This record gives sequence, C-alpha cells and structure tokens, in this order.
Amino acid sequence: MLTLLARLLRALNSESGAWALAIAFVLGMIMGFTPLWRVHNLLILLIALLFRVNLSGFMLSFVICSGIAYLLDPVFHSVGFAILSAESWQPVWQSMYESAFWRVVQFHHTITLGSLVLSIAFAPVLALVSFWIVSQYRKRIQAWFNRLRIVQAMKANRFWAIYTELRGS
Amino acid sequence: MEQHTVRRSAFRWPGLVAFIVIVALIAAFSWLLLDTILKWSLERSLGTLNGAEVNIGSVEHEWVPLTVKITDIQVTDPAQPEYNRVAVGEATGVVNWEQLILGRLHFEDVVSTGIRVHTQRDSAGEVYQVPDKSQLEGYFGAGMEQLQLAMPSLDEVMERVDLRTPAAIASARESFTTQKQRVEDVLSKLPSKEALAEYEQQIKALGEGDVSTPQQLAERREQFERLKEQFRADQEALEEFKQVVGTAVDDLKVQMENVKTAPQQDLDRVGELMQLNSQGLSEITSVLFGEQAQRWADYMLLAYNQLAPMLQRSADETVVKPPRGEGIWFSFTDADAPPDFLIKQARTEFAIGPTVLDVNWENITHQHEQLGQPTTFRARGENNELWNVLQLNGELALTASGIDARQQWLVQGVNLAQTALSERSELAATLVSALLDSEGNVALRDSQFDGTAILRLADMAIEANAENQWAQVIAEALETLQRLDINADIKGALFEPDFSLRSDLDRQLGRALKNAALDAAEGELGELRQRLSSQSDGFVNEYQDELGELTSLLGDAENRQVRLQKLLEAQLQDQLEDKVKDRLKGILGSN
Repeated sequence: MLTLLARLLRALNSESGAWALAIAFVLGMIMGFTPLWRVHNLLILLIALLFRVNLSGFMLSFVICSGIAYLLDPVFHSVGFAILSAESWQPVWQSMYESAFWRVVQFHHTITLGSLVLSIAFAPVLALVSFWIVSQYRKRIQAWFNRLRIVQAMKANRFWAIYTELRGS
Repeated sequence: MEQHTVRRSAFRWPGLVAFIVIVALIAAFSWLLLDTILKWSLERSLGTLNGAEVNIGSVEHEWVPLTVKITDIQVTDPAQPEYNRVAVGEATGVVNWEQLILGRLHFEDVVSTGIRVHTQRDSAGEVYQVPDKSQLEGYFGAGMEQLQLAMPSLDEVMERVDLRTPAAIASARESFTTQKQRVEDVLSKLPSKEALAEYEQQIKALGEGDVSTPQQLAERREQFERLKEQFRADQEALEEFKQVVGTAVDDLKVQMENVKTAPQQDLDRVGELMQLNSQGLSEITSVLFGEQAQRWADYMLLAYNQLAPMLQRSADETVVKPPRGEGIWFSFTDADAPPDFLIKQARTEFAIGPTVLDVNWENITHQHEQLGQPTTFRARGENNELWNVLQLNGELALTASGIDARQQWLVQGVNLAQTALSERSELAATLVSALLDSEGNVALRDSQFDGTAILRLADMAIEANAENQWAQVIAEALETLQRLDINADIKGALFEPDFSLRSDLDRQLGRALKNAALDAAEGELGELRQRLSSQSDGFVNEYQDELGELTSLLGDAENRQVRLQKLLEAQLQDQLEDKVKDRLKGILGSN
C-alpha cells in the first residue's frame, strides 16, 4: 500500500497527463464499485492496460472503491432492484434476458446493474474533479506541500525512502 | 537548432500482453479449480434453499458430454441440525450446453444413488433460518405424559358418588307411611264383618215369615230397597278401599324392588368411578405408533418433505433473503419460455434398510407453469426383503397459489422386525415382528394437506414392559394384540402437517384397564357391597310384613265385596209375591 501511495505521489509529481490520472481514477472506481467477477471488468482492465492510463492511480482507486463498495452495496442493490423492477423497462429486460451475451454480462443481478449504473453516472464527475485536483496540485499545492513541516518530517521515514527509491529507478 | 518532439503512442502494447496473460491465468485458475468452485457454489445455493448447511464431499466434471458428478451430499435438517434431512451418496447429471449458454440449467438425465433420510451427522450443521417452533414439534404431540394413569381411593369415590341405597330406603319408608295413612283413612268406611252378617240376617228375615196382604208386601219391599241402598253405599266404600290399597301395594312393591336393586346399582357406579382416570387413553394409538408412523410418513411424503420446501423457497424471493452484498438475480422469462432450472428425467435410489427403492422422476423444476407439466414421480418395488408390493405415484406442481400435488400408494407385506414403538421408561414397547399393509392417498391444494390412509398390522408380536402398575396392564394388553387396523388422517399446512391416528386399540386397552382396576379395588368394593346389602335387607325385612298385611287387606276386601254382591242380587220380591198369591188363592178357593 505504501508502495502504491508512493507511486501515486510520483505520478502526481511527474509529467503524466492530468487526464491520464483522472481516467485511471474513474476506471478504478468502476471496477471497485462493481462485483469483480463480471465480464465488463475485463473490458475495463483491457482499457487500463492497453491505453496509457496511470496504473498506480487505477490500482489505488480500485482498492479504495472496493472498500467503499462494501458500504454502498445496499444502495447498489436498491438502485438495481428499482431499475430491474421498472414496468416500462420490462420489454427491454426481457429481450436482453433472451440474449446469451447479456446473460453473460449478468445485467439481471441487482448489485451488478445498480453499481454499474451509479459508477457510470458518477464517472464524469469523478473525472472532472480528479483532473481539477491534479492540475491544482501541480500548479499550487506541490510547492506549498513540500514546505510543510509534516511533509519534511515524513521525508525522514520509510515512506520517503520508498518514494525516492522509485524516483531514482 | 531543430527540436524533435516524440509523440508517445496512446497504446501501451506491453499492457495488451499483460492483459492476455491475466485472462489466461484466470481461465487456467477457473479450469483447475472448477470443481472446487462448483462445490462451494452448490453448497451455498443449496444451503440457502434448504435454510441450513449443505455439505458436498466432492464435485467432478467432464466436458463432453458436460457431466457433473457430485458425491456425498448431506443436507442438514434445520429442525434437527444433528441430523441430515436427506443424504445422497452420489448424483450424476448431464447438462445441456445450449441451455447453459442461455443461462438455463437443464439436466437431461440425473441419477442419484444411496439416498437416505434422517441420517446422523458427524457434527451439527449450521442453521441459516430457524424453522417455526410449531415445525419443530412432532406430528403427534406429547407422548406418554398424556397417559396420566391413576386410580382414586374409595373415600374419594364415595365423596363424588351419590349413593342410591339410602335414598331408596328413605323414599320407600316415606311411601309406606303415606300409603298406610291413606289405607287407614278408607278402612274406617268399610262395612265390618258383623255388619255384613246382620245384613244377611235382615235379608233372611225379610224373606221369611207370613205375608198375607199386599200392604205387608209393600212394607217389606220398602225395607228391602232401603237395605239395598245401604249395600250400594258399602260397595262403593269397598271399591274405594280396593283402589287405595291396590295403588298402595303396587307403589310399595316398586319401592321395595328399588330398595332391593339399589345396592347393586351403587356398586356398579362406584365401580365405574373406581376405574383409571385415563384421559389420554384415546390418544394411545398416536402415543404408541405416532413416532413410527411419522417415520413411515417421512418416506411416503418424501417428495413433499424434501422437494416441496426447496421448490417453494426457490420461488419466493422474500423467503430466500440474499446474504448481505449478494443481491438478487431477476428472471425475465416469458410465460411460455423454458424454465431456468429443469431436470428432465431423474432416477433416484433410496436406501431403506438393506433394500433399495427406485423412484423415477420427470420434469423437476420450480417453474411448472412455464413448463406446462407437473413434476411426476413413480416408485415400484416388488418381492424384496422388506415388502412384497410397493406402488407409489404422484405429481407435484408449484403454482401461483402454492404447491398443488397428489399422491397415492399401496404397500403390501412390509416385514417389520424389531421396530421400537416406545422407548420411554414408563412404557417400553417393541414391535418384534409384524406384517404391514397400507394404502392411502394425499392431496396438497394451496399448500394444504388433505388425505387418508389405513395401516393394517397383522401377525403382530409385541414386547412391552412398564414400571407403573397401570402401564403394566397396557403392556400386557399390547402383548396379546395380534392384529390392528389404524386409520390415519392427514390435514394441515405443508410444513405443519397434522396427523391423527385412530384404532380400536383405545377400546381394547380401556377394557383391560377397567378389569384390572376393578380387580385391584375388589377388597374395598366388597366392604361397600356388604354395608349396602345390610341396609337394604334390614329395610326389606322390616317392611315385608306390612306389605303382606296390605295385600291380605285387599283380599279381605274382595271377599266382603263378593258377599255384598250376593246380598244385592237376592230376589226378595218374587218370593214374597208368590207367598201373597198362594194366600190369595186359598182365600178365593175356600169361598
């Protein structure tokens, strides 16, 4: 975990694009919120690996969002239940249910559908917020942050050692 | 100076390699651990349906044809976690690939062997959903504690019984006094013997002597008429006397008879009250045969007991509450779409003692309305170690209103040996040997049972012993039983069937207990008999003479009435007229 945090800090301080980091957070969030063993997560993994998405941000976002997902499962279930129960959508669900592809996607599972819908809906917000934070960090906070006594104190401990080791590598 | 900007590709090709490696690893991992994954999945899903822990020994699979083989399945009984509801030695099924791709689990053929019900578990299974308390109770309620056999003491009985002998004596005594007074009242109005003798003298005097003139004749006739008036008055008094005495004699004879029979009636009543307080005797058939009948019923209602609860739970999303974080799988099948789960054919081998019973199933599913057919089952078994004939047919369907099913069976020549009926210390009974025939039918409408069955036990040999004096009587009576017909009714809800057993065992045991109780109370009853007889005999001796006197008075009155009647019928006028005529002829002839 320390390594992961160090890698993220390195990414923040590097020349990696702010959008690359923001999209990494979004992909990690979708994969973390939705149940792991689902076909759509293979697609997300493929995007994260194939495109130049920051993998440290992706991994960190995935780990944090997996933890939050445990707390949000009842909400995901309720949302998925409401969507799957909606009368007007029944013909759509019935036709999808007859399709082998959609059955493999497991859309008819309340938590899967609820978490996927909510995380996709939240994705633009997270992307924009992440982009803004990374940009602001690089512009203003980085220098100020480094001057903080607490940061200087941290530089004396193991975390700083890992960070510098990575930076040197 | 020329600057070259190298634009980095948007793709990270090594990432694609990494992705392929990861997917390959996942596939390999799933491939290698598929059996374990299937085992865990089946244990969890079957456990949720069952409401208690389900253990599977191992799962093996083959790809072509897609076959799953499961061994050593133990399904915990939620009501008795130390026991399995059912245990299956081995189950093999061939899965339809095409339907599996469409998300439907269709087995073409399933073979299950080594199925046993109610087997002991190595350790108690975990219960996920505790059944209602009512489901935990036995079908037949409480046991021997219902048979509160106790005999009251003679004093207790005498407090409760209203003895008739003293009352009969008091009533008879009062009647004697009353009737005696009435007789005495009319006795004074009777003509005495002397009066009758005087009447006869007067009649005689009127008929004798000289009557020479018509005037004398008229005088005598007038005297005679006055006497007849008197006779009629006396006769009326006699008639009234006879009526009063006759009524008194009849009444007193009845009273006397009551006094004579009262002691025996009292003894009979005391004898009845001295019998055992056997409130629970009417339940003895259930007490003795209930547990065993429940085990037989478990086999007869196997399809309902094992399959129906799972089917119902599988169809009810409110019952199968998903564990936290697991969500619910929706089903959007059309009314005519194939069911999500279907076993087209199954052959199950139930191990019953040393024998195996084959049951053939068709169309096992929880979506019968989609399939348009019920689940059917058929069992046949002939000439084996345990029975001569066994035929069981039935069908079962889960409808919108509940489980709808029917079943009938015929079993003949079931050899029962060393079957424990009751193992309680109060009364232990073992069916050493017997032949059982049974037939019946049961229907399940809207999850409500309605059925009847008859159990015929023949060539019975029962060993029984008891620690209580009265239970020992039951034990001895049981040992004399050779045949017994038990009628069973099955009513109530699917998960709370209400069985009731009836037979003439209650009557047979009741008679044995009555005789035993009377034998035991013989000494005390003898004393009572002596006391009541002496009271009755004393009264009878005292009043028998008075009754005799009244009877003789009645005879005497009849004699007097006869004498009066003769006097009334006397022909005085003719005699006197003849005398007057003779005298007148003499006077006229001499002239």
